Amino acid sequence: MTDSPQEEGLVLNGLTKILGGRVIIDNLHLVVKKGEMVSLLGPSGCGKTTTLRMIAGFLIPDKGDIVLNGKDVTTIGPEKRPSAMVFQNYALWPHMTVFGNVAYPLKVRKLAKPEIEKRVHEALAMVNLMHHKDSRPGQISGGEQQRVALARALVQEPDILLLDEPLSNLDAKLRVKVREDIRDLQRRLGITTVIVTHDQDEALSISDRIAVMNNGKIEQFSTPQELYDRPETEYVANFIGSLNHIQGGFADGQVISGTEVVGIRPEDVHFSTEQVPGSYPATVQLVVPRGHFCEVYLKRADVELHAFISLDVPLAGTSGFVKINKALIYKDGKLVRVA
Amino acid sequence: MAKREKSRAKSSSPVVKALLGIFMLAMAFFILGPLLWLAIHAFVTNWTYPNLYPDGWTWHWWTQIFANSALEESIRNSLIISPIVVVLSMIICLPAAYAAGRMNYVGRKTFLIGLFAANSFPKIGLFASIATLYYALNLMGTIVGVIIIQLLGTIIYMTWIPAAAFASVPRNLEEAARDAGASKFRVFRTITLRMAMPGILVAIVMSFLASFDEAQGTYLVGAPAIYTMPTEMYALVENYPIQIAAVFSLLLAFPSVLLIGLARKHIVGGQLAEGFQIK
Amino acid sequence: MTSTKTDVVAEGLGAAKAPRLSVVGFLMALPPLLLVLFFVGLPVLIAFTFSLGFTTGPNRVLSMIGQEIHKKDQWWGTFSAYKDVIHDPRFAGDMRTTLAITFISTTLVLLMALGIGIYQRMIGGRLASVMTALTLVPLFVPVVIAAWAIHTFYAGDGFMRSFFSQFGIEFPTVTSTVSAIAIGTIWTSLPFAILMVTSGLQSIPDALIETAQDAGAGFIRIIRTVLIPLAITPIVIAGTFTAIGILGSFTIPLFLGPNQPTMLGVEISNFFGAYNRPQQSIVMAFIVFASASGIALIYIWANVRSAKQSGRI
Repeated sequence: MTDSPQEEGLVLNGLTKILGGRVIIDNLHLVVKKGEMVSLLGPSGCGKTTTLRMIAGFLIPDKGDIVLNGKDVTTIGPEKRPSAMVFQNYALWPHMTVFGNVAYPLKVRKLAKPEIEKRVHEALAMVNLMHHKDSRPGQISGGEQQRVALARALVQEPDILLLDEPLSNLDAKLRVKVREDIRDLQRRLGITTVIVTHDQDEALSISDRIAVMNNGKIEQFSTPQELYDRPETEYVANFIGSLNHIQGGFADGQVISGTEVVGIRPEDVHFSTEQVPGSYPATVQLVVPRGHFCEVYLKRADVELHAFISLDVPLAGTSGFVKINKALIYKDGKLVRVA
Repeated sequence: MAKREKSRAKSSSPVVKALLGIFMLAMAFFILGPLLWLAIHAFVTNWTYPNLYPDGWTWHWWTQIFANSALEESIRNSLIISPIVVVLSMIICLPAAYAAGRMNYVGRKTFLIGLFAANSFPKIGLFASIATLYYALNLMGTIVGVIIIQLLGTIIYMTWIPAAAFASVPRNLEEAARDAGASKFRVFRTITLRMAMPGILVAIVMSFLASFDEAQGTYLVGAPAIYTMPTEMYALVENYPIQIAAVFSLLLAFPSVLLIGLARKHIVGGQLAEGFQIK
Repeated sequence: MTSTKTDVVAEGLGAAKAPRLSVVGFLMALPPLLLVLFFVGLPVLIAFTFSLGFTTGPNRVLSMIGQEIHKKDQWWGTFSAYKDVIHDPRFAGDMRTTLAITFISTTLVLLMALGIGIYQRMIGGRLASVMTALTLVPLFVPVVIAAWAIHTFYAGDGFMRSFFSQFGIEFPTVTSTVSAIAIGTIWTSLPFAILMVTSGLQSIPDALIETAQDAGAGFIRIIRTVLIPLAITPIVIAGTFTAIGILGSFTIPLFLGPNQPTMLGVEISNFFGAYNRPQQSIVMAFIVFASASGIALIYIWANVRSAKQSGRI
């Protein structure tokens, strides 16, 4: 990365955290650009929430530094740190109104009343919640609560916005809408944002870049497209999208015996009734409808594959030809080549 | 999320730590001091003011207690009456607690608040008032009379705490058991009762202590025919040296200390506190 | 403390009751209700008529034995016994003492409970657990013993005076003063208040506190704006229970207090037994009961408020 220092919003440098004798975060490095939206993606227990809590200041790293907009904040407590966090359950105070919740950070900062009023109104308008200003958190829906939490974070005008699984408590339809809203707002305000999630769809659709985490380490940090096209490790390839996972080697569009691992995306498996260069005879064994596409199980002489096909779906039992458009070859878990 | 570490950014300063330490010591002294002071007296011959050490050590007072038939009888009375009270209380109150926790009937809230109101009438006033009724029913100076008096003090614990415990058993756990083919009674026995057990256990302990420690009512109703350990204490304090009262206190505290081990976890775990909020 | 955390929001949902009325439920609730009605309600009612000067029927025996009995002069009775009590200078002193002790002890108990509860909630650790366990000790000590132990500890030849005399300091004899009653009532009331307050504070989700920290709030502000408002219901319940318990206390003032003025609990007993003025004794009991009812209203208000807040009503 050749960015000038001013461009770096957040730098995590050799972060290490040991909790209860277990290394939760292991020498973690991450550079987030100013105004960038970055996801920490991984299964539960991979350390992504711990990392977020260290960025917020709720945990102090055992080793390493956290630099925010060029300023070392490693040991600054959460109340002094220019970060704002939205918690998984929104953590709205039930005894305060929506207005009271959003105004709280400003009252803490001892701003003048009219100023508080003005900024809270702006923040509530931003998330379209002016009409619920005097409601209690218990009286509004989950999606609205989520927006209140967001407004409460944004009203602080933080240097960095931290979101901990912000969508996991919303139903599927709402989730898509809210994540677009968040993305929209983040772009508009140009605020550096780190979002923790275990949902790859969410990460892929919302982030500028994604850090895939595993066992307290970052496996790969790239754009969603790159992550999908060129997963650097077998772990990432498995975690992002679907994968045909085959022990062996790969040559001339065919799987051969070998000691490597061949990963083939179901989208890269092409079925056709006509033979083209690089395709080999195969039969359709099973077709499972998956909504807007079908998952098709194919048997070839060298390998059994599943493929995602959305047009001209063949029937089970059909014979045809299968071509593998792309294969990822891993040795000891690391990507060695793309064929 | 299993990670719940409270390492706050601001580590408390030595001054704060010192203040906390002093506060701790003061609390420990305030609570334990009198108990220890009294307990030591059970083993001393005499203690001359203002010495910090007693004049000598002895087991003498202990042998005296067990030689005194009146004291012995009060111990026996206590050990017989309190378990009876607890069992009766369970029989009378637990169904009501279940109903208050799980069913909705007219006056459910009135029931809980009514029991609470009855409990907030000053005990000593009640005992004075109850004399009339007791004379009419010939209950003065009888074991039954004492049992009823002590029973009244246990009702609030035996209804409120189990009611909250029953209420907090998730219904879908029962439904899952019904779905698995268990009969209604079996579900109650293996799921509902089992899950409410910590609350019931706390109620039993609290009721036992309430009964075992009850002194005012037992004295008014039972004396001079029936003395229990706490009422005997009244007499002891007046008529015997402090050492005898100390020995007796240790004996009286013994069952309570035993019960700490039994129920401490649940009492601290919030069962008691849960029980005192009307839901 | 390994208590399961109840989420404030989840609690409200879980407590929702199926809206069906049950006859069986009512029948199951009857036994304790009848017991209380018969052995508390009935005597209290009879006593109330007695206090108003109804001296016949069940009150006949007591009226014959007792002294200074007022008989009713109106169809509804008479207030003479109440006037007696209110104009009795002893009563005025006792009432003041009772209310003052109730107020001071309850306040101190709540402050101690809040201190320990907040310490455990915000800082935690082994020390806090040990501390909480320690404060539970009085729960398991019979009141009679507690009273007697405190009596000897602060007595003229007790530990406090012995200890301070080693350094030539004359420590006052606390036993048989009003202060000793306060010490005793605080001692016995601590565990319940601490259990209520601690469990209330513990059930506040971490996230609600952390958000406030994240918003820039300091320690004191978090206590003031988040912890106490969220735990106000258990705090009020702890306060009312403590106050009602202290208001009617008997053994503690009997063992620890002075002869005059003392708390009404002791005076009720004195008037009933030693002075043989049962009617006045009953009147005092009703005055204490009236005060307790006032406090109980606060308790009920707190419960209703918490039910409203979590959406149960």
